[in-house]
Amino acid sequence: MLLPLLERARLGDPLTRYTDPEFTAPELTALIPCSVPAPGEQYRFHFDMTKCIGCRCCEVACNEQNGNPADLRWRRVGEIEGGTYPFTQRHYLSMGCNHCVDAACLKGCPVEAYTKSDLTGLVLHSADICIGCQYCTWNCPYGVPQYNPERGVVGKCDMCHNRLADGDEPACVNACPEEAIQIEIVNIAAWVADHSTANAPGLPPAHETISTTRITLPAQLGPELEKADHTRVRPEHPHWPLVVMLTLTQLSVGAFAGLALLDVARPIAAIAALLVAFLSLGASTLHLGRPIHAYRAIKMWKRSWLSREVLLFSLFAGSASAFAGATLFGLPRVAAIPTVLLGLAGVTASAFIYLVPARPAWNNWHTLADFHLTGLVLGPAFLRALGVNVPVALIASFAALQLFNQVLKLLRLVSSEEFELRASARLLSQDLKRILVARLALLVIGGIGLTLADFPIPALILALAGELAGRYLFFVSVVPRNMALPWLTQGRLTQGRAA
Amino acid sequence: MNWKRLAGIDNLSEEYAYGQDPVHGYVSAKKIADKWVATTCGYCSVGCGMLVGTKDGKAVAVRGNPEHPVNLGKLCPKGLSEHYTLQAKSRATKPLLKRNGKFEPISWDAALTTMVEKFRGVQAKYGAGALGVISTGQLVTEEFYTLGKLVQLGFGTSNFDGNTTLCMASAVAGYKRSFGSDGPPGSYADLETADVILLIGANVADNHPILCGRLEKNKKATLIVADPRVTKTAMLADIFLPVKPRSDIALLNGIAHILIRDGLVNRAYIEAHTTGYAELCAFLEKFTPEHVAQVTGLGVETIERVAMLYGRAKAATIGWTMGVNHSTQGAETVSAINNLALLTGNIGKSGASPFSITGQCNAMGTRETGFTSGLPGYRKFESAEDREELAGIWKIDVERIPTARGLSYPDIIEAALAKKVRALWIIATNPVVSFPNYDVLIQAFENLEFLVVQDGFHPTPTTELADLVLPAAVWGEKEGTYTNSERRVSKVNKAVEPPGEARSDFDIFVALADKLGVCAEIFPGWTSTRDAFEEWKKVSAGRLCDYSGMTWEAIEREGGIQWGGERLYADGQFETVDGKAKLFKVECEPFPEQPGGGFPLILNTGRTVEHWHTRTKTGEVAILDSMSPRAWLEMNPRDAKKLGLKMHDEISLVSRRSRVDAIELRLTEIVAPGQVFMPFHFAETNVNRATQSAFDPISREPNYKQCAVRIERTPSAGRVN
Repeated sequence: MLLPLLERARLGDPLTRYTDPEFTAPELTALIPCSVPAPGEQYRFHFDMTKCIGCRCCEVACNEQNGNPADLRWRRVGEIEGGTYPFTQRHYLSMGCNHCVDAACLKGCPVEAYTKSDLTGLVLHSADICIGCQYCTWNCPYGVPQYNPERGVVGKCDMCHNRLADGDEPACVNACPEEAIQIEIVNIAAWVADHSTANAPGLPPAHETISTTRITLPAQLGPELEKADHTRVRPEHPHWPLVVMLTLTQLSVGAFAGLALLDVARPIAAIAALLVAFLSLGASTLHLGRPIHAYRAIKMWKRSWLSREVLLFSLFAGSASAFAGATLFGLPRVAAIPTVLLGLAGVTASAFIYLVPARPAWNNWHTLADFHLTGLVLGPAFLRALGVNVPVALIASFAALQLFNQVLKLLRLVSSEEFELRASARLLSQDLKRILVARLALLVIGGIGLTLADFPIPALILALAGELAGRYLFFVSVVPRNMALPWLTQGRLTQGRAA
Repeated sequence: MNWKRLAGIDNLSEEYAYGQDPVHGYVSAKKIADKWVATTCGYCSVGCGMLVGTKDGKAVAVRGNPEHPVNLGKLCPKGLSEHYTLQAKSRATKPLLKRNGKFEPISWDAALTTMVEKFRGVQAKYGAGALGVISTGQLVTEEFYTLGKLVQLGFGTSNFDGNTTLCMASAVAGYKRSFGSDGPPGSYADLETADVILLIGANVADNHPILCGRLEKNKKATLIVADPRVTKTAMLADIFLPVKPRSDIALLNGIAHILIRDGLVNRAYIEAHTTGYAELCAFLEKFTPEHVAQVTGLGVETIERVAMLYGRAKAATIGWTMGVNHSTQGAETVSAINNLALLTGNIGKSGASPFSITGQCNAMGTRETGFTSGLPGYRKFESAEDREELAGIWKIDVERIPTARGLSYPDIIEAALAKKVRALWIIATNPVVSFPNYDVLIQAFENLEFLVVQDGFHPTPTTELADLVLPAAVWGEKEGTYTNSERRVSKVNKAVEPPGEARSDFDIFVALADKLGVCAEIFPGWTSTRDAFEEWKKVSAGRLCDYSGMTWEAIEREGGIQWGGERLYADGQFETVDGKAKLFKVECEPFPEQPGGGFPLILNTGRTVEHWHTRTKTGEVAILDSMSPRAWLEMNPRDAKKLGLKMHDEISLVSRRSRVDAIELRLTEIVAPGQVFMPFHFAETNVNRATQSAFDPISREPNYKQCAVRIERTPSAGRVN
């Protein structure tokens, strides 16, 4: 980055490039700082809600600046509304990236595509390092990083830091006709101590990631202002490769655990479970925008649960291969222990990926229980279908536990005070109702009924279908935290209803 | 998608690369232009200066021009993405003639020959007036001047009007009534120097966002906004007046009543520069604060306070747009606004004017060069002197200039319905979406023998009905001038070539004159719009809108030139016969279709910031379309509860005329109980199927803002999510 700022910036006059000698540039309000941050400081946005008229110039200017597709916007203008006519209040939030002190996107990234600049404090993302795993899009409570399917990578607002370095205003700052967006310098320690002005109606609480955006709110803001889009709750992306990957890795781990506990000398079952593991790990790379760079994902194992998951499942696959090969030679039972431990650790790492505050419906022990119970139902059922003598009562008990786990989670969603959790419950009980009923029915019929009646193959097929449906629901029914968005968005008709 | 991209080796880093633009700095490499052309925005009448960047002959970027005094480098979201309109997939590229119900490409020569033959045929059979022409506010002034001469002197019909009658005809008529001439007296600068700004029926935050910067800068002013809906603009107000629909006249009269009662009028100004004061005083006696409170729904104290603020202001500006104009009493409402300005002398000085904020980029240009509701240069059809003068300049027989205006836009449609107008030429407008009472319009079109639509875009709902489509160049592809709301004439320049065989409207007009055999007479030696400008300078010389001192070069250099200077009527001399402005007695009448009889709600229509009029342009700009992809209907939750309707339900809007199905319902306190609001941009859910054929008897402007409707769930519908 070119620093220090060019002389023009110190003059505070980005208009000097227009060289008409007869034109005297109007005096500008300083919308960008004239210096770089000192040590212990960083750049931040200031958004003045009292000035914003919701014209959305900043959004268009941002897309033009970054050459992004029309439906992918790094700066977004949201609406908040409240009050009773004629004392109605409607205000706008224009937000890019908040360049948080404790950035959640950065902490989760398995490949270190994110860096927080020492010089400017900006949270920057590299499209060349990014492998398109989209984990950051689940971690950010503001919905800032956005996946660009055309490129296979994520992208986000970088405060036009290359323009700042040249002394030019970022595109949004430059475009705003109301001068509602400014760049400021903030002392990080002071901000960590008091960042109350980062909060606004329509935003998740700032303390979780210590958003640095300062917001000037109108003096008389009603208490009941709500996100204008709070009634528009839509299913999220299903992430099919992950549905398959999670369910099958869990099955495979469960199967190896079963083999270890019950009967190690079953090479066919071991090899079959191993094939399932490879199939599922292969499927997982299809989730990536850039599958060829999947190997990079283990890089940040010290920090990222995604890296840990990849690492642990890679070790699991290696260990399981050795174990499966060795079963042909009648190994002692202890030889299965490393495989089982690595597998269980892998499933635990999988679950921890989803324990993120930005996705409240995932962020609880039900996720951990869900993933392990899937393995404990499907693994033994898989073995039994292959003729291994697993007690049917064991499988049915795990299925019953999974049922209990699912029902308890639903009850918690329904009774929650938290908007995102209630919204998840609403999705499950309305748009996704049929799939939810099917998921529970398959679990009961396959995991309990057919298992106890000893039809092992149909039991496995139905139970597997149930857990796949469960994992699908896991992805689509989560309602992420986000900033307020406009009431009107690209829409679609959902369920038809007779008049 | 290629395999490299699928594997992730390629992440389109070249396409998403950045670079240094020599003028605008670090930016997406796709947006770096090799040439920047200064021009004026082609959407609304704010008249922002902009730079269009081209690369290899294609427009790749747009920037606000920081040197232009109107916008100082800022643009609204439509302006910021205007370059995309030039490459829209739906650009018209070939003349098309409908044969057996299907469009077939045809040469320009054959197209114009056919057009002239058909028009001449209809005129020979049914009379000259059987040809109607409906123009626009989108052409350059030079083209409007050319078109006026072609229609009146070439085709010989005076049944000629523009879509400007759907927009600001009431302002024109109101100005003419009060001041003797059209012409907004003030400037945008007044918004920065006024101490009281009263906006009536004007949602500038959505419709003219670049003007909001001036309101923001003027910290000392009290901003008062009167609107039945809590618009984005209402949120900017210091005092918001949630008036009942069409009670604005009562409010204006009530303010005038208090001003007179409390001696807050400027007696010296009234004495010297107005007529009708005594009659007005007597008339206003009945508009007591209590009566006005009852009509408007406002409190007595609020009305008193607003009157005091206006009466005591050193300089007060009243701005208005369609909330006033779109009314059967539009022209009269403008008179009532002008009354307030005249009573207090708030006209002709800094910060003080009754200011109509115009609609289209060059609605003003067509008002000036006219030949629709007036003769070019704000001359009057009725004035023998004006007709003689014009005939003298043109060296033609004065008999060729009509003594009265022909049919206005709605009357042309009525005449087509009655089979009196039998052929129609529509230029750069889309009545199928924008004209009220769709069914009547379609019937009128069905009665025509020949319909020509000249437009930059095809298909549009209107071009689809045409017998002949003429592809025209649009903003960015031609040269001339636009006049904005504050009378600033700004230069419009060509950045790129029109697509395919599309030609500039000017070229089409001159070619038609040639076919008619009148080219040598009416456009002698004309090859470009500059020739039209030079003649227009002579025609406008000495008139209120005097261009005689201007040159294209000076206009360009100075960032536009305001005809009449910064403000009109500074000397208190008006364009009336006696030089005095007229005060009008304006009754406050109820709007024509009151709720009731199965239609309990009042429908209000309007705009949203992302779109322009009927979306033939903005619907083609991906980012605008993605931000505002479809229509919605705003309803108060209390009304919805009674009807058992929920947020996002698919509903139908039903009026006595017709119905509009499959609209997404927005429950919001933005609208008052008893009222609903719907944007008018969307052809797919066209609110003008529901609006009524009710027109201002003076201005002929439609009453879009109120009609009676009911809302019901769309049969077998679901919810939009």
